[in-house]
Amino acid sequence: MALLSESDANEVRKIFGSLERDVEIRAYTQRLECPTCQDTEMILRELDGLSDRIRLTILNFQTDREAAGKDGVERVPAIVVSDGTHSRVKFYGTPSGYEFSSLLTVIVDAGGSGKTLSEETLEFLDGLDKDLSLQVFVTPACPHCPSSAVLASRMALHSDRITSEVIEANEFQELSRRFRVQGVPRTVVNGQYYAEGALPEYMMVEALSRGLEEGPEGEKDLMDYIRTS
Amino acid sequence: MDLRTGLVGGNPGKGRTTDLVIAGGGPAALSASLYAARYSIDHVVLESYQPGGQAALTAWIENYPGMGRISGGDLAARMKEQAERWGGSFETATVTSTGLRDDLIEVKADSAVYLARFLIIATGAAPAKLGVPGEDRFYGRGVSYCATCDAPFFKGAHVMVVGGGDSAVKEGLHLSEFADRLTLVHRRDRFRAEPYLAEKLLSCDNCSVRWNTTVSAIEGEDGVEGVLLETPEGEERIDVDGVFIYVGRRPATEAFSGLVELNPDGTVKTRGIVGTSRSNVFAAGDVTDNELRQVVTAAADGARAASAVFNLMQ
Repeated sequence: MALLSESDANEVRKIFGSLERDVEIRAYTQRLECPTCQDTEMILRELDGLSDRIRLTILNFQTDREAAGKDGVERVPAIVVSDGTHSRVKFYGTPSGYEFSSLLTVIVDAGGSGKTLSEETLEFLDGLDKDLSLQVFVTPACPHCPSSAVLASRMALHSDRITSEVIEANEFQELSRRFRVQGVPRTVVNGQYYAEGALPEYMMVEALSRGLEEGPEGEKDLMDYIRTS
Repeated sequence: MDLRTGLVGGNPGKGRTTDLVIAGGGPAALSASLYAARYSIDHVVLESYQPGGQAALTAWIENYPGMGRISGGDLAARMKEQAERWGGSFETATVTSTGLRDDLIEVKADSAVYLARFLIIATGAAPAKLGVPGEDRFYGRGVSYCATCDAPFFKGAHVMVVGGGDSAVKEGLHLSEFADRLTLVHRRDRFRAEPYLAEKLLSCDNCSVRWNTTVSAIEGEDGVEGVLLETPEGEERIDVDGVFIYVGRRPATEAFSGLVELNPDGTVKTRGIVGTSRSNVFAAGDVTDNELRQVVTAAADGARAASAVFNLMQ
């Protein structure tokens, strides 16, 4: 039985109608010790069937090691979304609940020509002189999470200085513990700085530009710079 | 499996002149849009960035007639789908200020400006803060206002819920399914919550209640480790791993303060349920001073407000 109902499938088909170029989705799964890999594959195969613009490749994390290394994939299930020229935008975990809408949005962004970020954000991204890794921890039942997930992904789609990972915190508990995730969304920057909650775009840019400039060693709340200034 | 279709951020606000602007994205706004669409009123709903409003933060809703037990997110998604099917139009925009321009209401949003003959304020409310030391510092590190979002991080933990209304008790019960132990702290000697929920919490095996008690500080090093309580017996510190706060709501009315009369608590002062101090502006749902704040009353307010607009347009 299909995971997407007929009406949802029609809605997604309509959404994908706006794709102007092909979107490459590379998914990494494995047979054993990955309880959510099969669901992830099913969801992606259904999406693949809803538009000619989607080019889905499902790879085996265990046997396609070289590809996984090239894409920088470290765990499964992983979904890499791009226009075929990079592997900067990743989703880790089943794209269910609200995260399904995040994935749809990022696919549409990757295959569209529309401007999705503000002028100020683009200016900040174009002026970046260092690399940023953004890891956004989310849960599927969190309605605040998609805005953070999509913002990080859009930044990574735009700038080759940025990589984004949207991580389903329940599925990767060890990673969540390592980054001490107790609330979502939590955006971890370069494994060290973090921003709590769904920050609006302009605030995230301010936090990134000022927080990273003045940031000392050790874990640091990016918002401290805004609060104390 | 639950898969939410639709795009994040939806349809970016473009601004236009219309008969009716509905500000908000929760049940009151969604119901107002459904009714407005069926009355053939040209309108636009300005949704903020969180679809479904507070309803979407509720794990389970069991008292919306006809729906049985449904997640708040699902209920809101269904309401939106129904409004859209009848022609409701939605744009993503946060209203920042309102005023008058000639005979029209000017609604300024972060992304665009709208002009309308009528306005329905349905911007709802955000969780109120406790206002104690440690609350801001540990936000996201043990302090939360969303059990639906964060409950999974407290498996096997000792969690505290602060509050005594429907939300506190309902979300407490949701948390008790994850946490090892749940302590609910309430400043009064009985719940405000509906008796059904109250009894369920009182009979829950891993739940306990501290009556006549308030939180004076949230403490810890890197995350929440304990809270300081003011109890009838004096000050007491207990160890907890998380604190979920449900102590009421702050109405989202800043953008309307110059347009309509507000009460000291920030709610819109209503006349006859959905009327305001201005004849072409209505208010619906948690943003009003109406006593009962439920999904069903928000939806009813939305319907009344749309109907009032329709009557004035005749």
